[in-house]
Amino acid sequence: MHMQAYVKPVAIALIMLSLLLVPQFATTYTTSVILNILMWIGLVTSWLILAGFTGYISLGHGAFLGIGAYFVASYWQILPFPILILLSGLICVFVAAVVGYPVLRVKGPYFVILTLGLSEFVKYSLVYYEVNIRGTVGRILLRTPSLENLYYWVLVICLLSIATAYLIKRSRFGLALMSIKDDEDAAEALGVNAALAKWKAFAISAFFPGMIGAVMAMRWTYIDPYTVFNPMMSFQVTITAFLGGIAYVHGPIIGATMLTLLSQSLWARYPNFYMIALGVILIFIVMFLPQGLAGLLSKINVPGFIKDVFKNVSSPERRKEL
Amino acid sequence: MPKKNWVCLLLLLGMALMVFSLAGCGGKDTTAPAAKDKEEIKIGFSISLTGIYAPAAESQMRAYDLWLEQVNKRGGIHLKEYGKSLPVKFVYYDDQSSTDMATRIYEKLVTEDKVDMLLPPWGTTLHFAIAPLAEKFQMPVVGNTACSVKIRELDAKNFWFITSCIPDRQTEALVDLMKAHRNQLKTVAITYVQDLFPRENLQFLEPLLKAAGFEVVLVKDYPIGVSDLSSLMAEIKRLNPDAYLALSYPEDSFLITNQAMEAGLNPKFFLLLVGPSIAAYDAVYGPATEGILTQGHWSPKGGWPGAQDFYNGFVEKYGERPDYLDSALAYVSCEILEQALTKAGSLDREAVRNVIATSEFETINGPIGFTGVENLRMPAMWLQWQQGELEIVWPAETATAKLLIPKPKW
Repeated sequence: MHMQAYVKPVAIALIMLSLLLVPQFATTYTTSVILNILMWIGLVTSWLILAGFTGYISLGHGAFLGIGAYFVASYWQILPFPILILLSGLICVFVAAVVGYPVLRVKGPYFVILTLGLSEFVKYSLVYYEVNIRGTVGRILLRTPSLENLYYWVLVICLLSIATAYLIKRSRFGLALMSIKDDEDAAEALGVNAALAKWKAFAISAFFPGMIGAVMAMRWTYIDPYTVFNPMMSFQVTITAFLGGIAYVHGPIIGATMLTLLSQSLWARYPNFYMIALGVILIFIVMFLPQGLAGLLSKINVPGFIKDVFKNVSSPERRKEL
Repeated sequence: MPKKNWVCLLLLLGMALMVFSLAGCGGKDTTAPAAKDKEEIKIGFSISLTGIYAPAAESQMRAYDLWLEQVNKRGGIHLKEYGKSLPVKFVYYDDQSSTDMATRIYEKLVTEDKVDMLLPPWGTTLHFAIAPLAEKFQMPVVGNTACSVKIRELDAKNFWFITSCIPDRQTEALVDLMKAHRNQLKTVAITYVQDLFPRENLQFLEPLLKAAGFEVVLVKDYPIGVSDLSSLMAEIKRLNPDAYLALSYPEDSFLITNQAMEAGLNPKFFLLLVGPSIAAYDAVYGPATEGILTQGHWSPKGGWPGAQDFYNGFVEKYGERPDYLDSALAYVSCEILEQALTKAGSLDREAVRNVIATSEFETINGPIGFTGVENLRMPAMWLQWQQGELEIVWPAETATAKLLIPKPKW
């Protein structure tokens, strides 16, 4: 066999190994930065299961994060943590299934606005419940798991979301979703049950932010509706996805890593004007790299291992092969 | 093709640079070198320069900066351990008003920047978010701009709260003040914004008012960021209560003031919970502030040593007066940290922690000492605008003026 065949698995194995060892060797802060990158990769990858494949841009992804966080806060120290994480994800699947049934009939910009409105609706319903029924707002979480513990949970969820997106992309189901993106009416005419496919994709994509919310609540230790249902979370998911390139499964990995490291290296150096710098850089990337960073990588003649790592993982050309 | 290779190379280089900028990637957390040749005291904190808390956090940042300037003008803080006075240096980052960012920043401050001491970020939410980190790193933090009865739930040995604006204590003081004027006050209307602190105030206020024999004619809530309350003002005007207690935040305090004026709502006793103590409030309303009550426990006229100097120093540096609540609180936490460091004579976290937990401190807000996480030495107080100044009108022992009642019409 050719030497090149080993490059990809070896590279992936090395990356996995170093990710596993991070909490053992890195400082608390480095661990928390990498945890943050993994969180964004998980969020953006799960978002792509609906938005990337079908073209239905949801601005409500952050709401599932909030639901997961609130659920775990309500039952913390009552149920064991792994069960709480799983239940948080399942509840989000249920909510997505209920909400998605009517919502996914709406198309184009109306769908985008509707998802944003829905997440605000969830937030204010929760505020109403807290204020009028529970009589207080926000919860303090005591005796939360260590940073290292949370790191491994986020790593597992992140890998699960990547695996799920990859498997869907390679399946008949994925093909159905992508045909919806190209032309929904034509897809239906050819026998794709578009409504059902979208509904399933929406429910699956809600599973991961629910679980991530459950883990991150343990890190934030104090949660209230305004912070966990912050619409900025949903916006940043979308921005990261476009930065990475929404047609690629590895887009979120590149996008989230770049954006987190970029913003972190800027705010740490220039606390007073990093936002301006970040804005300028983002405008440049969007103007000159409409396909995202993953699109750039796939186009250029990359020397050596990088291209091998990403080659054929998920490029649009792959669709033609299927 | 070669051109595109360049782009790729640049991207990779950029990424590598950013990875390296995560300084100290190697090795687990190490403690700061306890070198005898220490040149400065590094104090770290996160501040909300952007995001929803940014307008409010300015009051805090300005007080921190004023203290920094003053302490370094004095030659710094004297530490016996080093046999000399060391200047203070701030290390701070923008937390974007986010709990996620604030926790990461405090982790960075302690483990990467290796700061010697910490100051808190702005607001109850962020205080709660970083309290577990203070425990984890055994790093003492004197909190300032946070008030909630939930502070007592915290399992904290390294975290303290200065303010006496704790909802159960301050509502008790408020009802006592109202009882002292019972002949003029029979009916009460209450509105509150849907957030933790106003809601907690309501939770204690309503039963206390009822137990004291006041008739509560209205209790209504509204969301944060509300943009119109005119129908609510009209309804309160129709009910014509003797007292209107608005459990508000700064944003809606301005809205209520505007729309109460438009509606001609003129209760004898008019209270806005948070807002009227900030400088922008009287800058906007001028003489119309007369008679408005608000929460707070500081005034330059309070008779505490340094109070008037702080006021003058603040006005000189920034051209406007300090926020009687947040600026004063932020300055007090700096004072406590400075005195604790001097008394401990060391930057040892354990030593400083013990001093803070057990000592009494002389501050611009009077003597302060902690019982658990709380400062019980300071009574809960209420302020009222009179003749363009905020006067302490309750309780009698700290009052700088008598309550003006009824409030003059707009």
